[in-house]
Amino acid sequence: MSVNAVTLTELTKSFGTVRAVDGLTLDIPQGQTLALLGPNGAGKSTAIGMLLGLSAPDSGTAEVFGGGPQAAVRAGRVGAMTQEGGLIPRVTVRELVGFVAGCYPAPLPVDQVLATARLTGLAGRRADRLSGGQAQRVRFAMALVGDPGLLVLDEPTAALDVEARREFWEGMHHFAARGTTILFSTHYLDEADDHADRIVMISGGRVVADGTAKEIKRVTALTTVSLTVSGETAWLARLPGVSAVEIRGGRARLRSTDSDATVTALAEARAIRDLEVSPADLEDAFVALTAAPLPPTPETSAAR
Amino acid sequence: MIGYIRLELLRVVRDLTFVLFGIAMPVVMYLIFTNLGLAPGDEREVALYLMVSMAAYGGMGAAFNNGTGLGEDKALGWLRQLRLTPLRPVTVIAGKTVTGMAVVVPAIVAILLAGTLINGVSLSPGRWAAVICLLWAGTVPFTLFGLGNGYRLTGQAAGIANFAAGMALAVVGGLWLPTDRFPGWLKAISDWTPARAYADLARDVAFGQAPTARAALILLGWLAVFGLYAMYGYRRAGERS
Repeated sequence: MSVNAVTLTELTKSFGTVRAVDGLTLDIPQGQTLALLGPNGAGKSTAIGMLLGLSAPDSGTAEVFGGGPQAAVRAGRVGAMTQEGGLIPRVTVRELVGFVAGCYPAPLPVDQVLATARLTGLAGRRADRLSGGQAQRVRFAMALVGDPGLLVLDEPTAALDVEARREFWEGMHHFAARGTTILFSTHYLDEADDHADRIVMISGGRVVADGTAKEIKRVTALTTVSLTVSGETAWLARLPGVSAVEIRGGRARLRSTDSDATVTALAEARAIRDLEVSPADLEDAFVALTAAPLPPTPETSAAR
Repeated sequence: MIGYIRLELLRVVRDLTFVLFGIAMPVVMYLIFTNLGLAPGDEREVALYLMVSMAAYGGMGAAFNNGTGLGEDKALGWLRQLRLTPLRPVTVIAGKTVTGMAVVVPAIVAILLAGTLINGVSLSPGRWAAVICLLWAGTVPFTLFGLGNGYRLTGQAAGIANFAAGMALAVVGGLWLPTDRFPGWLKAISDWTPARAYADLARDVAFGQAPTARAALILLGWLAVFGLYAMYGYRRAGERS
């Protein structure tokens, strides 16, 4: 029985009065590719910082391969790609990736990694003279060149255009085939869907959903129907398909699992005024999953 | 560790403006002090005394400057990147200290060359060797102080702190003006500064005296203090990200 690559237990971290991570518990078995999905401010980067040993939790524990995160990093079992930075001026791509390789006990050949990250043609280029997509591939190369058992990618495709995203994931699949445990965070649902075995959604620093892409998508198939209303509104909640009603400034936002039925019922009631139907976004999914509006108010969580 | 030193040295070598800037000011000051007759006393003794003092000032300044560059590193996320490699903190600091020992060399050598070639300072080969070694090795505490500031403070604040620390230590430590003209209280402080101990070690040797154990112990004491400070700064720099 092999130990989990990652075990987070009741992890909590606050910044001032804001509880960024709030009792996060998560196990990642070895070999899994897991997407940590959540909107900005959900606590993804904070959780990743603790699991990499960059910051200490206020309470709870983070374990990597059954030991402390820093021990795992020191042993060369972790490769991480941070959201930005890490590229210094006056050094070439090859020098930078070669340096990181030299820090690990059993690195991959630098040329092979440069090829995987599609950087071969850029090896002699100064690391600070790259486009966003190229820089991101260099960070990726630095994360994987040590041949780590756990690869952690914090929003690897944030700020990349479509083409650069596609290129990035091509390089990544090449590597995932090696059986490495991969944890990546993203706020793109489609990205999690396409590239992960398992999706964990977090919001307000807690896990709100955990499952395969298919399971998550079923929940996110919710549509929002909004319209202008006046007078009594309790009846809206009894309409077919409606799972939640929110009234704000004369507008009603109905979450519906069956928008056709909801809209038909509204038409029959002659209630259609300024009707809008919008497909589910991630935030809607969270609302559906947590049955509570976003975000959790920091004032109500006790600051340390 | 070798790989890290290599990388850091590559960065220094490719940024010569940084190195040259650290050289120019002490050399100009040295030439002004010695050639405008501002300092009283025997001309050759003054040339030697000020050569060692200014080389100490130049070396110290370069050592601090080495730490100022960390502001850029931090802003670029480089320190966090290093913490995500298997390199231990003590290795990173040691690597950066070795880099510091390299960048002080041009600053010290430039003053010594100015002293010999322009002001005709001459010493026996053995004494030259001892003076150079002391001036060189004695920069390590200042390198660590500069690294501590660089790790702990933001880029601009680190630059200001390092500049101010270098200036204050140079003045109070008697690198610009002899301390025997200081008021009593300032002299008492000066006696315990690392800058004074550093310059005294090399000056004693330059003038044919044995360096004092007291100066050596004071400098070693500061080495330990600044070493801990650099370690503390590095750990703290990693926690905020």
